[in-house]
Amino acid sequence: MTELLPAFSLRHPTSIEEAIAIHGSAPDARYVAGGTDLIVNLRRGIGDPETLVSLNRIEDFQNIADGKDGGLVIGAGVTIANLANDVTIRTRYPALRVAAGEIAGPGHRETGTVGGNLCLDTRCVFYNQSQWWREANHFCLKHQGEICHVAPKGDFCHAAFSGDLAPVFLVLDAEIEIAGPDGTRREPLSALYTGDGMDHLTLKPGELLTGIHVPANTPPAAYEKHRVRGAIDFPLAGVAVALTKDGDKVKTLKIAVTGTNTSPFLVEGLEAFTGSTLGEDDQAKLADIVQKQVSPMKTTLVQPFGRRRIAGAMARRQAVSLLAGG
Amino acid sequence: MNKPIDRTAIGVPTPLVDGVEKVTGQAQFSADFYPNDALCGVIFRSPYAHAEILELDLTAARALDGVVAIVSGDDCPHTYGIIPIARNEYPMARDRVRYYGEPVAAIAAIDEKTARKALSLIKMKVKELPAYFTIKDALADDAILLHDDKPGNIERDVHNEFGDVEEGFEKADLVREQTFKCAEICQTHMEPHASLAEWDDERAQLTIRTCSQVPYYVHLMLAHTMELERNQIRVIKPFVGGGFGTRTETLNFELIAGILARAAKGKVAMHLNREETFLTSRTRPYTEITMKIGMTKDGHLTATYCNAVQLGGAYAGYGIVTILYAGALLQGIYDIPAVKYDGIRVNANVPPSGAMRGHGTVDSRHAFECLLDEMAEELGLDPLEVRRRNMLTVPTDTMNGIKIMSYGLDECVDKVELESGWKDKVGQLGPGRGIGFACSQYISGAAKPVNWTGEPHAVVNLKLDFDGSITALTGAADIGQGSSTIVAQTVAEVCGLDIRKVRIIANDSAITPKDNGSYSSRVTMMVGNATIDAANHLRDILLVAASAKLDARPQDIEIVNEMFRVSGGQDEGLPFQEVVEAALVDTGTITVKGTFTCPPEFQGGKHRGGAVGSTMGFSYSAQAVEVSVDPDTGQVRVENVWVAHDCGYAINPLAVEGQIQGSVWMGMGQALSEETRYHKNGMPMFTNMLDYRVPSIVESPPIHTYIVESIDPNGPFGAKEAGECSLSSFIPALVNAIYDATGLRYTELPVTPDRLVEAISKKQHRDRVAAARAAEATGAAE
Amino acid sequence: MSSSEQAPRLLSMTLNGRVRHDAVGDNILLLDYLRETCDLIGTKQGCDGGECGACTVLVDGKSRLSCITLAAECEGKSVETIEALATNGKMSALQRGFHEKLGSQCGYCTPGMIMASEALLRRNSSPSEDEIRDALGGNICRCTGYVKIIEAVQAAAEELS
Ligand SMILES: Cc1cc2nc3c(=O)[nH]c(=O)nc-3n(C[C@H](O)[C@H](O)[C@H](O)COP(=O)(O)OP(=O)(O)OC[C@H]3O[C@@H](n4cnc5c(N)ncnc54)[C@H](O)[C@@H]3O)c2cc1C
Ligand code: SF4
Ligand code: FES
Ligand code: FES
Repeated sequence: MTELLPAFSLRHPTSIEEAIAIHGSAPDARYVAGGTDLIVNLRRGIGDPETLVSLNRIEDFQNIADGKDGGLVIGAGVTIANLANDVTIRTRYPALRVAAGEIAGPGHRETGTVGGNLCLDTRCVFYNQSQWWREANHFCLKHQGEICHVAPKGDFCHAAFSGDLAPVFLVLDAEIEIAGPDGTRREPLSALYTGDGMDHLTLKPGELLTGIHVPANTPPAAYEKHRVRGAIDFPLAGVAVALTKDGDKVKTLKIAVTGTNTSPFLVEGLEAFTGSTLGEDDQAKLADIVQKQVSPMKTTLVQPFGRRRIAGAMARRQAVSLLAGG
Repeated sequence: MNKPIDRTAIGVPTPLVDGVEKVTGQAQFSADFYPNDALCGVIFRSPYAHAEILELDLTAARALDGVVAIVSGDDCPHTYGIIPIARNEYPMARDRVRYYGEPVAAIAAIDEKTARKALSLIKMKVKELPAYFTIKDALADDAILLHDDKPGNIERDVHNEFGDVEEGFEKADLVREQTFKCAEICQTHMEPHASLAEWDDERAQLTIRTCSQVPYYVHLMLAHTMELERNQIRVIKPFVGGGFGTRTETLNFELIAGILARAAKGKVAMHLNREETFLTSRTRPYTEITMKIGMTKDGHLTATYCNAVQLGGAYAGYGIVTILYAGALLQGIYDIPAVKYDGIRVNANVPPSGAMRGHGTVDSRHAFECLLDEMAEELGLDPLEVRRRNMLTVPTDTMNGIKIMSYGLDECVDKVELESGWKDKVGQLGPGRGIGFACSQYISGAAKPVNWTGEPHAVVNLKLDFDGSITALTGAADIGQGSSTIVAQTVAEVCGLDIRKVRIIANDSAITPKDNGSYSSRVTMMVGNATIDAANHLRDILLVAASAKLDARPQDIEIVNEMFRVSGGQDEGLPFQEVVEAALVDTGTITVKGTFTCPPEFQGGKHRGGAVGSTMGFSYSAQAVEVSVDPDTGQVRVENVWVAHDCGYAINPLAVEGQIQGSVWMGMGQALSEETRYHKNGMPMFTNMLDYRVPSIVESPPIHTYIVESIDPNGPFGAKEAGECSLSSFIPALVNAIYDATGLRYTELPVTPDRLVEAISKKQHRDRVAAARAAEATGAAE
Repeated sequence: MSSSEQAPRLLSMTLNGRVRHDAVGDNILLLDYLRETCDLIGTKQGCDGGECGACTVLVDGKSRLSCITLAAECEGKSVETIEALATNGKMSALQRGFHEKLGSQCGYCTPGMIMASEALLRRNSSPSEDEIRDALGGNICRCTGYVKIIEAVQAAAEELS
């Protein structure tokens, strides 16, 4: 006997157009894919949609296909498990596979989707709680309340984006395809996020993610996730690094981080490392740059100090190992 | 007593007698009983940490269609609690609430939706009171009292000294003192709390199915709080999904279910969710321990002093016993001439703590074993050698009046040393890797039950009828540890039968004899002995019947493979069924009873609180843990565990191994990832299974388990405890291993990555400063 | 909670090999449908949503958390629960493994654990220890320390090979 979900009706469109049409005709509609994030929130009384538009019967949405430019188009409905098991992904984009393989547990991975993972709601210990709990705690800015318990003086929500795939897609320069009532558009993944923990996506009403384009020739990349347990846990910090080299020197370096800020983001100011052999000083500098740009807050029970340091260290050691690697 | 030989039903790995139900999905737990006509019961919980209730308005909720009954503190003026002298908790708060989530009222409605709607209509007016969530705040001079009869917010303070501690420290060559902080831990049994209470209004009788480790105590408390005769109540314990101590006392939801069912004149299914289950957890309390040890330079202990302060929570619960245990088990493991203990259990506005696995003893053992390790190093001694030099010789009496008849710790230490390759590893594994060691002990059942009646400690009935099968009736609560299997094995062994001939009926107060329940690892010891007693009676009856037919004296008859025959004779003998039929002729259905009573000399010292720690036998454990530590992320990986556990005798080696592994692993959770947290306003921040991190299978280590059998003269076939002791030795062994790997002696639990990374970075900083100073000094000297 | 009431709809699925049609609301979770509508109480609930694995069942042969899955999402699919594993009154190899190796103590995590293992063995009949750990990563057990769970799955894999 679980707590009852709100009395929504569930619709099953079979095409993207139909999904958008249903969404448009029902005023209070939400898209649901695997539901491994959304249903958990609904069970906790977060959200009260009248209609859920399921994306699970839209078939062309669930494929991994070759893109026109030699890259790959990953449908937003591809499950995390299928992404991790895909042969092309395994061979050409191993960092994606690592990130996918470390998401939640096997049951979530069989159900959860790439689109849901990129659109995942932001997380905070004051938010991911039951209705009773949040009410007893006088709610908070992000939902039904007036103040933020993490930073009570401000009027900004710091809830952390905690999906594992986004940083890898960011360092691979992936682009997303969005469909909506006004047609489709394609833009860099970073444009999906607002930077506000409360309303974290730039999607307009009725818009949905349909696919992700990964370019053909991506630099070697890696992903490391920090969490307390070996499974289930969301990232406390997740760092993706992509690096090309010129002999024993860095040519290009990209780093993206998840789990620490309201959005997954690309670390800035890494041009300075072009030409570096990542000696000890540069390693320290690199860790420092990352540490300065991540801003973990007390949105989890794990202390920000450690998460910050760990993010820096994971960036440093992955960069070093990519530079050393063949 | 010698080690038993020629055993057929005991000493062999035996799958659980109720295991088939569990793996096929047929096992019914409390929440699986949900008759069509049951009402849904829900609890209205306090949204305040500490407040005086000015008004509770239930009218709107009561008026809602579909609401059948609402009860509140007004419906029950009686306090309940496990310790008869410390019952200060109402099933539903009256006048005052003392923690977030405390039950205030409850609703029975035709369905979940109606019940939840009604909850939202309850209005409570309060005057908020200052609330305390830390030891320091609760003990502050200007703190208001949680309970008027507990000055200083001290639930209980304990002070005792055995031997001359001051003299002991004087004799020592090395005295060290260290403070340890150990987080609060939740049992987190996988089954959330649930009850089905059925009130028969025609007969004024209550039947409750509930997930308890102590159905008998639930029975008593239901009678007490509901003002019923005990004979109006029937308590049934279905399959229970773990307990680990939460369920060793009556919990509020069980009483509320009963009260609500009577008010509704019907059936109420009360299912708590995980959050509510966490709030109703009777945890291992947050504890600050200062440990002081004196040692001679050759490693002999001269004295120890322990000061423990526990954040006990809002009500008494088991607290008195918990704080006593933290001191009582300083003895009974090593030979220490003088032991002093001061303990305080503090009341504060968090849910009450209680008796978690290793009750009260775990954090003190942790502190002791860590400090011992540090001192051994300082003296240049091998930590195992230090332990060896302080072993007990048995039989012996501890200074606090506990008799020890068997002691396998030396063998445990030897075994672990050998199997772990200790000598080649300690200090030699290279940077980032380490190995650590520790020991522990635990009781095999509290020799004096909390609710002292003078009755035997355990009773088991056996029934043998025309069908030739034996039904064992036991009140012992099997909650997964395998106690029913032990009863079946024991009967089979004593009567020379195949275990399949023995059926177990457990835990129905209308059918089975009273049993105090599953706590303090008492079941194997006490129920095991009572079972032997019962089975011996039955065997005697059968032997007499067989002797008439075989024309021999009963004492000359043996039972082999279900055949009764004259010992040493050539005859094939009589089959079991024939003997049964012969035995039934005179009496009809045979019922026998076995009992067990702990002799008074085992019931503990004469000092105040001396019953706590008393037992018929201590189990012992030694453990080595190998880790790797990632200095960048602070991630500790447990690579390997070697544990040797002296369980006296392994009646069911399969279950003994399972118990040892389960407790070692639970120790790992406490050591590395589990902790409760409260926000500064007292909100519990951990009440879900993402924030309360029970280890997953991925990071859980291989656990090499070695059973040591010291054959205790008191134990059934020599058996002692197997399910708690090895939890305690894991934690210090791990922390000692982290030291071996990093050079850091970490004094807080759990050692989470964020904490360790911070400690490592501080240490690196300190080392750098020290190196710079040293360089400067050499520079200056040149 | 939403004020609008929605009428149950007919839901058809193959449950443990038999086709069923039940009137089920769109907002009903698969877990509640199984336990309350179908009386299949073998599937357990251990947490408040997606955090423990106790409710794991198979949907089209893959492991799925029934406590965060809408029953209506299983329209036309095949759902299997712990009750389906025994055949002709005999335990399956996995069930036998969990029973004989003591992969189950209190038994509460067991149905979910066995179903997650079943999903693993169907796609990989001889998994390595790491693969077993990975496949059971979402299933928490509080009793066993997992050691004997791994042995149980290994024993079953061996029996099946
Ligand atoms: C216990 C637990 C642990 C978890 N651990 C992790 C973890 O370690 N790492 C991690 O990354 N995630 C984790 N998750 C979250 C989740 O399982 C995954 O992120 C999953 O990929 C989400 O996908 P979904 O399809 O299930 O999302 P859904 O729940 O279906 O959707 C999530 C959100 O995205 C929206 N959405 C879904 N698809 C689209 C689309 N195509 N276009 C626009 N909007 C869309 C939905 O409306 C909803 O708001 C965990 C979840 C749980 C319950
Ligand atoms: S960061 Fe603040 S506003 Fe955002 S969810 Fe947490 S408490 Fe609420
Ligand atoms: S009950 Fe479904 S994951 Fe816990
Ligand atoms: S056997 Fe009890 S939770 Fe796994």
